[in-house]
Amino acid sequence: MMSSPPPSGAAERSDRRSNPSPSKSDNPMTNPRFEPERIDFVDYKDVELLKRYLNEQGKILPRRITGVPQKFQRQLTRAVKRARHLALLPFTSDNVR
Amino acid sequence: MAQNTYELTYIVNGVLNDDQIRGLVNRVRKFIEENGGEIIEVDEWGTRRLAYPINKKRNGYYVNLYFKADGGLIGRLERALEIEDDILRYLTLKMDSKMLQHYERVKAEGVRRAAEAAARAVPVADGDDDDDEEDEDDDV
Repeated sequence: MMSSPPPSGAAERSDRRSNPSPSKSDNPMTNPRFEPERIDFVDYKDVELLKRYLNEQGKILPRRITGVPQKFQRQLTRAVKRARHLALLPFTSDNVR
Repeated sequence: MAQNTYELTYIVNGVLNDDQIRGLVNRVRKFIEENGGEIIEVDEWGTRRLAYPINKKRNGYYVNLYFKADGGLIGRLERALEIEDDILRYLTLKMDSKMLQHYERVKAEGVRRAAEAAARAVPVADGDDDDDEEDEDDDV
């Protein structure tokens, strides 16, 4: 927390988003998709962020894959469930149904 | 009674026409105000495609609003939303200090971004005004 640089906002964020979604074989520890977020509240409205932690079926990825702190994973799970309730995220993706 | 800040997001049936949607949104707002709530902000996201069909509807009109009220209102409000046939889903959250901080931060970022966009588009434009106009354009 102390050592991590403060969130530098829009520029850095859009960089990460514009990254093409990395393949499965990528090492999670170096995978920019799972870079721990320097935020203290995970918002259910931030669908783009939540999507990075779902697999193609729309399942929440386990922590052993995402490698994020427990606290973050908990907030994430909660936010995903809220987003699903409001139909912002699918319970299961269309191609599986 | 202690006042809390709440966030409410609800989905209106996307099949309704603009007048009906506006009427419903105003009805919800009025309900909160008449029952001792104080509206902070109403943010209409507009019509979006739902991630899965709800009651056979594929589209919904999202409304996200923030208000101050005491806890007794919430039960009555949710009951009213439940009775409303054209509200497909709703989510009420009590905002704790972290959520409030987050809300302020997102808002500040939105204003800054709108100002930047406005500055890029028309160097003379006034940032805050442009933000509002953009939202209106989508509805019309």
